[in-house]
Amino acid sequence: MLRTDHLRKAYGSTVAIDDLSVEIPSGRVGLVGANGAGKTTLFRLFLGLARPTAGFVEVGGRGVAEDPIGIRARIGYMPEHDCLPLDQSAADVVATLGELAGLPARAARQRASDMLDLVGLDEARFRAVGTYSTGMRQRTKLAQALVADPEVVLLDEPTSGLDPSGRDEMLDLVARLGADEMSVVMSTHVLADVQRACDHVVMLDAGRLVVAGGTEDLLDTTGTILVEVDGPVEALVAALTARGLACAVSGSRVEVTAPDADAGLDAIRDEVSELGLPLNTLATRLTSLDEVFVRRTPQ
Amino acid sequence: MSDPATTPMDAPAGSGRVYDRGYRRYDGPRGGRGAAVRALFLGSIRRALGLRRSWKQKVLPWLLLAVAAAPAAVFVGVGYVTRNTPAADFEFITYREYVGVSTALLLFVAVTAPDLICPERRQRVLPLIFSRPLTGRDYVLAKAGAVFAVVFAFGFLPQVLLFVGQMLVSDAALSYLRENAEVLWQAPLSVAVLAAYLALLGTAVASLASRRMVAAAAFLGLILVSSSISAVLLGGSAQGAGALVNVMGIPLFVRDLVFLGHIGNDTPLGGVDGGGALALACYLGITGACVVILLARYRWAER
Repeated sequence: MLRTDHLRKAYGSTVAIDDLSVEIPSGRVGLVGANGAGKTTLFRLFLGLARPTAGFVEVGGRGVAEDPIGIRARIGYMPEHDCLPLDQSAADVVATLGELAGLPARAARQRASDMLDLVGLDEARFRAVGTYSTGMRQRTKLAQALVADPEVVLLDEPTSGLDPSGRDEMLDLVARLGADEMSVVMSTHVLADVQRACDHVVMLDAGRLVVAGGTEDLLDTTGTILVEVDGPVEALVAALTARGLACAVSGSRVEVTAPDADAGLDAIRDEVSELGLPLNTLATRLTSLDEVFVRRTPQ
Repeated sequence: MSDPATTPMDAPAGSGRVYDRGYRRYDGPRGGRGAAVRALFLGSIRRALGLRRSWKQKVLPWLLLAVAAAPAAVFVGVGYVTRNTPAADFEFITYREYVGVSTALLLFVAVTAPDLICPERRQRVLPLIFSRPLTGRDYVLAKAGAVFAVVFAFGFLPQVLLFVGQMLVSDAALSYLRENAEVLWQAPLSVAVLAAYLALLGTAVASLASRRMVAAAAFLGLILVSSSISAVLLGGSAQGAGALVNVMGIPLFVRDLVFLGHIGNDTPLGGVDGGGALALACYLGITGACVVILLARYRWAER
């Protein structure tokens, strides 16, 4: 759906995107990275609102530089920052932005009504946006991104500023949208949000690609076994090292690198039993994307 | 696609509540860039006139526009009432004089142009607008075009009123029409000259400020300061090239070129050699500079 090839974007001496080559498939995709990783810049490049310093950006098989206007007609965009006119109602804002995306006036008002229903703003839509809470503004921003029924929607930090229940609802909505024949790319620095709502993840760090792949595939990182025991782990580490397994210790957790996962599991089970240590965790997969990110990011 | 049934989700109600009505696709007609520009243009006109806004936001624009049209109504009314016993010294205002007779249009632009431009910059709405199939040029065209359209409509309407009124008041309506046929192109052209000038100047000044009050004050200040400097340059004399420094005088000199073919002798530029060419050059220079400023201010979207 979206593709970059040796993409570079620099603002003066500041490099926002550095030699990024990645393919973002259809579906629900999380674009993750710390603040300043280049997520918003990448969105702007996909929209044709910024020009690459070098490299190539493609949306739906079409170069953005060749037809930025045509590309924008196919993309919905929800910026991270406050961007709504405060003296207008959500109904007017969303309908107007629908018209700007090419919908006829009557259809834009109908779609605005539908989308505001979808995001849960059916009762408040006729109030001025300036009277809205942060959560309501986020919903309005999401509704305007969806109003023209885009092929792909870019959501920049959609859970930013939301309380836990609002965040839950937003993530549920993102997950449902991705199941409705629409591609959703959600940027965030909260990896748990991606793990929950997305089936594909692209990790950026300082404008460079850290890793990209299916969320489940990344969590099923092969060759790594997590062991958590009560009590001192030094004896366990020594025993496993003697068996030729590399160990990394973090508190009561030991991360064991085993070329053969099954043999590794057997060895750990035997040594834990031998040492009489209470076993809390024994898993062949990483438990969170945070761990994947930390492992893959150059220190 | 999700079940279209309306079923509230389990999440607790906060500022709103998500209802699982499902996402519905849109397979109706879609316009392109032209439709987007048209939508922005019409939306800006609605905003300028306070339509779909509270009554408080309707008062000022409509009051100013009524004031701009009032003199024409008064002249026609007086002319109609006294048609059989005209006062010896009663004369209708000329079409030329009516272009720019009222400062209401000026005040309308001072209020409206910042209202169309500044909040979108200040409230950072522009990224939303430019994520649609629009360019910076389209935005400038729609915004300046909306101000132009409203100023033109309310500048030209009184001219129509004057013309129709004088036709009806005159002894022979058809003769009046024949004798004044040239007004049918002179009036709209000169009103368009004034409207384009005010629209471009107003929106260009507004594009440089993020607060409406600052933009309005800057626009009116530019006009006041330039007229004061012009008065100083003219010194005690009634006419001279210093009149060209007065920013608001320039479109009226071009109006004279449309109506008379030369600068009127009753204006501060009358009698100045090459005054017409100088006025036209100043008009084109100022409007051109406004276009350059506007395009530069909205070029960021294409960087």
